[in-house]
Amino acid sequence: MAPDDGSRPACREIEERLLEFIRLELLSPGVTVDRQDDLLSGELLDSVAVLRLAAFVGEEFAFEIRPADFVIENFQNVAVITDYVHRATRGSG
Amino acid sequence: MSVLLHRMIDGAAQRRPEAPAVRCDGAELTYGQLARRVNGLARVLLGTGLERRDRVAVLLRKGLDVPVGFHGALASGAALVPIDPRSPAEQVVRILRATGARHLVSEPAKRDLVRQALAECPEVSQVIGLEPEDGLPVRCVPWSTVAAEAADQPPAVGTIDLDPAYILHTSGSTGTPKLILHSHRSAMAFVDWAVSEYRLASDDRLSNHSSHHTCFATFDYYAAARVGAATVVLTPAALMMPGSLSALLERERVSIWYSVPTALVHLSLRGEIEERDLSSIRWVLFAGETFPEKHLRRIMRQLPQARFSHVYGSTEVNVCTCHHLPDADGLGDPLPIGRACSTSRTLVVDDQLRPVADGETGELLVCGSTVMSGYWGDPEANRHALVRRPSAGGFEDVYFRTGDQVRVLEDGNLTFVARADFQVKVRGHRVELEEVEAALLSLESVEEAAVFAVEDGEGSSALRAAVVAGGEPATAEILAGLKQRLPPYSVPAEIDILGSLPRTPTGKVDRDALRAHLAKPGDCDGP
Repeated sequence: MAPDDGSRPACREIEERLLEFIRLELLSPGVTVDRQDDLLSGELLDSVAVLRLAAFVGEEFAFEIRPADFVIENFQNVAVITDYVHRATRGSG
Repeated sequence: MSVLLHRMIDGAAQRRPEAPAVRCDGAELTYGQLARRVNGLARVLLGTGLERRDRVAVLLRKGLDVPVGFHGALASGAALVPIDPRSPAEQVVRILRATGARHLVSEPAKRDLVRQALAECPEVSQVIGLEPEDGLPVRCVPWSTVAAEAADQPPAVGTIDLDPAYILHTSGSTGTPKLILHSHRSAMAFVDWAVSEYRLASDDRLSNHSSHHTCFATFDYYAAARVGAATVVLTPAALMMPGSLSALLERERVSIWYSVPTALVHLSLRGEIEERDLSSIRWVLFAGETFPEKHLRRIMRQLPQARFSHVYGSTEVNVCTCHHLPDADGLGDPLPIGRACSTSRTLVVDDQLRPVADGETGELLVCGSTVMSGYWGDPEANRHALVRRPSAGGFEDVYFRTGDQVRVLEDGNLTFVARADFQVKVRGHRVELEEVEAALLSLESVEEAAVFAVEDGEGSSALRAAVVAGGEPATAEILAGLKQRLPPYSVPAEIDILGSLPRTPTGKVDRDALRAHLAKPGDCDGP
């Protein structure tokens, strides 16, 4: 997955930054997370952690998450968040 | 004639077997299907040595199996012990031990948690919902066996309405959870009041927002069953994503909503309500926390067809007062908790338990048919919380001490003033600050600890902790330790490491001084 242009991050980079944030900031030490793990099951993250993750997404990738975008399809796992960030930042760089 | 909780399922199944009983994520159980599965679980439990008034713990994630576990436990003649599925193993162990539950209903997704808990609970002899191949040290009966035992008729077990129905858990000040016992009679008194007050009918759809180990779920599941209405389970994913939640409410045509205010604030702010047809919602009930007025006004305007009610009552009493709100422009400030329900009598007293004059602040006592039987296995707590007052004819009434400070307004409504102790509400969950402090102090690196609630900016409270540490632990280490000991909502959002804690002249931690100190930016070296 190569970057589409010089200013916005490639999908792989988005994914790595998301996984790093979740591991370091949201999970207990030793707990692992994969790109396909369900983040909204209530088992891995609680509602506060999910809110922190959403805030991170907006700040880290410099775009505003519209209320209409707070849906399961955009936040279920790291893979779909990556797709969402990629779509949301398209043309913003 | 009094009705037993689980018999409501048989009644609804006989009247309308094809009517939906519970819906979750697009799947459904009708009352006919639910009744057969409930009877199947009861038969399995009874076939393996369960005795009347035993306790059956239920450790399940939200889903269609939850009402099967609940009613199946009750239909077997046992008392139900629902456990928060997000509990760490230590909390599961504490609840299993304290209730003496010998039977556990669970599911494969909780296998590891069950395994950890059983290592500390040799008295548990059977787990329903896991496979024999799972290698647990007890008898395991898979759900397929329960399905094979499904039957139209419930087993005859001789339960009466005064028998224990369920034991709910909240946090306790010593790290031991408070176990609140309700009988079929006290639960049904609440159910019948709710059915009448909110005019519930078979075509209603009640949302289930809260975890099923809370008293909110009593309304969502049992009041729905009383009239043969459907319970629509809101999954954690939907609750975390307001846009998905509002779509679900529209799709499922939910008519009754009951939750803490925070959930409604999220829905109102980020749920795109204006884009949805939520005209099916006819009544919104909220409880557990103060509802910020600006948020309440907004959602009342967003759902103009709905009535709104502020209901009040701890797990010990179900609900004891309610206030039906006028329109969004006529809200009181502060919003009253209302008047006593038809099931309850309220009394406001001073610290000597003498009634105070109207308008004066005092502790709220509650007497009535919805009050708990008592705290399980804790006679000392019962002596403190359940007080007797003389009544006519030489009899005595039993009142529950709520610990809440209230006063009677000029119009006769009660208004909440403050908690009398250190219990706080975090996103609708009751948390005892001392329990969190006890967990902090159980960490080797923590020498002193104080915890207090702060506003979280979303209309609810968050916890903030200050600790005095031996050595140089990172806050991440402390948080990791707490997450192994406490449910997620009890873990402080922030931890400050200080040189010392401010104290009152009597030596107690001075929380007000601490809060003021931590509000000053740039000072974390101690007061």
